[in-house]
Amino acid sequence: MRVVIAEDSALLREGLARILAEGDFEVAGQCANADELHDVVRRRRPNVAVVDVRMPPTHTDEGARAARELREKYPEMGVLLLSQVVEAAHALALFSERPEGFGYLLKDRVLEIDDFLEAVRRVGRGGTAIDPDVIAQLLGRPREDDPLAELTPREREVLALMAEGLSNRGICGRLFLSPKTVEAHVKSIFMKLGLMPAPDDHRRVLAVLAFLRS
Amino acid sequence: MHARYLRLLLALGGIVLGLVAYNVQVDNLGAGTTTNRAAAGVIAAWSFLAAGMAVWSKRPGNWLGPLMVATCFALLARQLRYSHDALAFTVFFALGELGFALIAHSALAYPSGRITDRSERRFLEVTYATVLVFPLAILLVHDQGVRLRYFDPYPRRSILLISGQDGLAGFLEDSYAVIAYGALAALFIFLVARRLKRATPRARWVLTPVLVGVVVAALWAVYNSVVAFSTRPPTFVARNVFWWQIVGLIALPVALFFGLIRSRLAHADVGDLVLRLERTPPGEIRGALAEALHDPTLEVAFWLSERAGYVDADGLPIELPQDGHDRAVTYLEHDDEPLAALIHDPTLRYEPELIDAAAAAARLALENARLQAELQAQLVKVKESRARIVAAGDEQRRRIERDLHDGAQQRLVALALDLKRAQGNLEGRADPDVERLLAASAEEVKVAVEELRELASGIHPGILTQGGLSVALAALANKAPVPVTVDATLDRLQPEIESTAYFVASEALTNVAKHAHASSASIRACVENGKLVIEVSDNGVGGAAADGGTGLRGLADRVEAQGGRLRIESPAGGGTRVRGEIPCAL
Repeated sequence: MRVVIAEDSALLREGLARILAEGDFEVAGQCANADELHDVVRRRRPNVAVVDVRMPPTHTDEGARAARELREKYPEMGVLLLSQVVEAAHALALFSERPEGFGYLLKDRVLEIDDFLEAVRRVGRGGTAIDPDVIAQLLGRPREDDPLAELTPREREVLALMAEGLSNRGICGRLFLSPKTVEAHVKSIFMKLGLMPAPDDHRRVLAVLAFLRS
Repeated sequence: MHARYLRLLLALGGIVLGLVAYNVQVDNLGAGTTTNRAAAGVIAAWSFLAAGMAVWSKRPGNWLGPLMVATCFALLARQLRYSHDALAFTVFFALGELGFALIAHSALAYPSGRITDRSERRFLEVTYATVLVFPLAILLVHDQGVRLRYFDPYPRRSILLISGQDGLAGFLEDSYAVIAYGALAALFIFLVARRLKRATPRARWVLTPVLVGVVVAALWAVYNSVVAFSTRPPTFVARNVFWWQIVGLIALPVALFFGLIRSRLAHADVGDLVLRLERTPPGEIRGALAEALHDPTLEVAFWLSERAGYVDADGLPIELPQDGHDRAVTYLEHDDEPLAALIHDPTLRYEPELIDAAAAAARLALENARLQAELQAQLVKVKESRARIVAAGDEQRRRIERDLHDGAQQRLVALALDLKRAQGNLEGRADPDVERLLAASAEEVKVAVEELRELASGIHPGILTQGGLSVALAALANKAPVPVTVDATLDRLQPEIESTAYFVASEALTNVAKHAHASSASIRACVENGKLVIEVSDNGVGGAAADGGTGLRGLADRVEAQGGRLRIESPAGGGTRVRGEIPCAL
């Protein structure tokens, strides 16, 4: 899988490149700003771009803006944003109704190397990777007659991982559960929340996120 | 001194010439002239002489004085042409019509003494040419055989005669009457009307004397054309219009004279001003001066020595206009120090005494007003520096936050990443103590990264920097203990405006959580009329006040420092609404 990295800190850029290479990714380019990113993506057509939200010159939202433009221009390419702070509102504003091929993670998540590589892979395949903090914020929001209250603690865990974008297999791996058990939990969750069972992972993420943000 | 002797000489000349003119007329009674009419003509001319002399001495720089004196001589020439002496007849006949042009010139040059308008200048050029060329041309062809208009039947000899062509002479006289008394008089009336229409209110008031000029022109045109074209004028015209035009003719110099030295007569108004200013607060001194000077457009600018510039009554710097066609500026001084400047209608320039008197009367009040303006200017400066201090503080917080995120945090993450990789590479191959140490170090660094993020967020909310106000408000709402709806879809604004609005919402929501006992709240942010409006409402118990130690006072300070304002509506039991308005450029 081909990946490009856009990150203005050279140290971190190198570190990212190394772990991605060691994780069997082909690192097709390393960029220090949004212009370079546009250029490299145009030339190398990667499967996924790992992009820092803050980049020069203003260090505010250059990366996020570049991500939005790239997602419009190359819908088949995945974009994973690394952010210094994560907020649910920010995530929702950024993926704007299209969580396919989109990731939004706190920067420190790269330190959980295996989970991070898995997330990059998922986004590169058109899946979703939303930071656990974001999901926690969405789950923890006060709401009137909260249907989430009916879920068991285990079901809440499964729901959170679904919302992050994990597939059933991914959830099995994280929670050390059998596929059957996970399937049962998913079914129960969908029933309790009154959601229609989703035919694939993309639509499942969409349905779960839509429920959580409402 | 020189000018004074010249004036004396001219005055004597005018008087003597007037007496001569009277005698010449009386010697040639006939053609409808009487001794009374001869005397009236001379008196009309003398009225120009007297008024012209007075204006000349009071307004030495103004050409109107000399113009009026010249008019006197032209009017006398018109009478002296009845002389039977060939030389006198020729000279004065040639100059006899000049009076028309000079009267038009005086009226149009009033009050400045100059003609600045192009069409007025063109009109005068044509008029002067007409009144000089036609009589000269007539003199070239007039033979003694034919009676000239307005003249008694006795023949007069032109010393300029080239060849006697009576038919041509008659044709020239007719043409002249049509052009001068018809076309040019009408054009003159049109020009005056146009001028009144274009004038500023004060100028219109100043221009009233020239209306007399119009009346004169009209009457003179009627009288002369009637006399010129009918061998036997209707008695009404012959009897009355002559006297009306004489009255008009005398009225014109009188009106011009009073118009020009009106300021001397306006002392009553200025006296009023002194009394009024005693009771006028500094803020209203402009109005009092405007009234006394009959100029509603008057503006007052105060000198600020520390800025070496002028400010208005609110202490805001103003640029004085160029002293020119539209506005005029008079500078006032006090003890050789600039005090103030009056920006006024250009017509006031011709009444320096009026401005001087008003300025003298208003000096003390102006000095007071100037001090007030100085205070206002200092207040403006203080406000500006407060805004700068707040902005600088904000900027610094933003920079620290940025440096933490983009410097230390990145390095620590990179370091932790290296430790993790080392740990992975050594897995099972190194001393277990080393592995443990590596794992512990990586964990420590991770904690450091988290603490650093917390610290940075406390200094300045990172989400505001990277997500903008709308996202940051939604994030705030997410963290609130009660459901909060957010209505905000804004583009990015200037960072200090985003910060201020964010802090308003953040502080207001903190109060909602702490004091309001509300079950829900809402945030609204939008840009209205160049202002960012941020509004936080709840359905709680109300009763919040800016000075109640709720942090709202500090919030109000912040908003005001940005030139905005904060309003708090919090009736007991009726919820709380905090509304901040911050000016913003888009």
